[in-house]
Amino acid sequence: MPSPQTPPRGGSAVDPTAIRPDIDDALIIRVEPAQLRGRLEQLKADGASMLLDVGAVDYLERSPRFDVVYHLLSLPTRAANLRAVGRPERTRVLCGIDDGQTLPTVSDLWPSADWAEREVYDLFGITFDGHPDLRRIQMPNDWTGYPLRKDYPLRGPALEKTPRPEFALKSNLLAGTPASGKTAEALAKQIAKIRGQA
Amino acid sequence: MMATPVPVDVTQVGENKMLLSLGPQHPSTHGVLQVLTEIEGETITKADPEIGYLHTGIEKSAENLFWHQASTVIERMDYLSPLTNAMCYVLGVEKLLGVTDLIPERAQQLRVLLCELSRIASHCVWLGTGGIDLGAISPFFYAFDLRENILDLFEASGGARMHPNYLRIGGLREDVPQGFLDRLDDLIKKFPGRVRELRGVLQKNPIVQDRMIDVAILAPEEALEWGITGPSLRGSGIAYDVRKAFPYSGYEKYEFEVPVRSEGDAYARFLVRLDEMDESMNIIRQVREQLVTGSVMIDDTKVGPPPKEAIALSMEALIHHFKYVSEGFRVPPGDVYQAVEGPRGELAYYIVSNGENRPWRVRTRPPSFYNLQVLKKLAIGELIADMVVCIGSLDPVFGEVDR
Repeated sequence: MPSPQTPPRGGSAVDPTAIRPDIDDALIIRVEPAQLRGRLEQLKADGASMLLDVGAVDYLERSPRFDVVYHLLSLPTRAANLRAVGRPERTRVLCGIDDGQTLPTVSDLWPSADWAEREVYDLFGITFDGHPDLRRIQMPNDWTGYPLRKDYPLRGPALEKTPRPEFALKSNLLAGTPASGKTAEALAKQIAKIRGQA
Repeated sequence: MMATPVPVDVTQVGENKMLLSLGPQHPSTHGVLQVLTEIEGETITKADPEIGYLHTGIEKSAENLFWHQASTVIERMDYLSPLTNAMCYVLGVEKLLGVTDLIPERAQQLRVLLCELSRIASHCVWLGTGGIDLGAISPFFYAFDLRENILDLFEASGGARMHPNYLRIGGLREDVPQGFLDRLDDLIKKFPGRVRELRGVLQKNPIVQDRMIDVAILAPEEALEWGITGPSLRGSGIAYDVRKAFPYSGYEKYEFEVPVRSEGDAYARFLVRLDEMDESMNIIRQVREQLVTGSVMIDDTKVGPPPKEAIALSMEALIHHFKYVSEGFRVPPGDVYQAVEGPRGELAYYIVSNGENRPWRVRTRPPSFYNLQVLKKLAIGELIADMVVCIGSLDPVFGEVDR
């Protein structure tokens, strides 16, 4: 696990999701992990035929720490024209869970959840019970840590450990950067000045 | 994602079965995609796409940039239609800011115009590379020639051919330059002929029809449960288009058809995309006719930078500009799911703000990611030679799949 290099920013304890639900055209539902599966099954039976997306948000200091966000869309199976589709209903299901807790998979209800849940697992470390093939999808199989967590550093340790090459510490001017046009003269003057001082 | 090593002795997985690794450097995979394919004779019995070769952590980067800077990395997700990504992001942030209704009319019109141009450009790449997959080299040059004209327009307006970062929160960076509209008129004039050429070399071509008709059939029920959107969904007979269902940026003002096909095979998706190019040009023509004059940036210097002329004359404008560049602006807390119809389907951002000058989370709903996933289902029972048709007909872009 790489050491945190950039400290997390403050203000994360705020939960913004409930503040202004009116700006979105989706129906927003918040459920407990225990009710999640039942609620999604019910929504699917009520016509939410498409699972658009499964994502997660890390609120770091909040309890529960993560929100797993499901976006559903109710599309009819037979809809050959625009009138049959109309304005389908969008539903957003938010489910807060803590680090170490698990959620039931929905990949048997909607196969599209398969990769989406793998990605949430890969980047946030949230485990989905019953997922047929829960392994990393974006990161290499042997990776440690979960990159999209807020306590995961933006820069890896590789950059830190690599010693800076000698020449990078000095001024470019001394290294004799080729210059052209008007700036050449100015640079030559500057170089002469620096060398004169040294 | 590290390549999954396939030792020689395990390529024989059953009595008649063999494991074949397609990609990640195969030219027909349209990017870095590896498909672990199990074949029996020439028939595919199992396909497991491996993605992640192009993962660059764009969502993580976006969390660490100012609101107005994040659009620069977000544009790099779907690199074949960067403006659509920017469009979706700026619309989402504008919704959070509550300024959606304050965006000048001209900016909205030009956004629609540029997004439709990028849809055509993106479909041109799909058409050209799709032709190459089937062994047709010349359509590639026809398609890229047309795309070149559109990229020239992007270069004229935003200064860059691929990632102009021209769409800004609050409007556009600047108005289109002199001569832009004349060049657009030229394109509008010659476009029908160009598309006729493309249709001529591909649509009625017996080889193309042989390779595509009844290949990779996707039933509407399957398409729905696999989360397929865009032309691939409309090729399966479901007329869902975000531009019609949830209009944004004034799409409700333009009259256009949504091409739908019921066959669900690769050829249906091919025809839907071709028809979509015509419809996009139809929208562009209407925008061109209705284009109003006026400002292209919101009149609120807290959200957008003040006009360049004002900076030289007004102290306040200078301060606003300094603040905008050095610490950005704050967005009220809240979350929003903003979707647009990208060339590949419903592209959406789930944006969370906690009231700071940087986004707390920008979750992408990448259409290619979900469209590509169905390959697991789609390729089964097809011939190994048709794998490239399956991939090509889904039109994935790996900058977006892997982000």
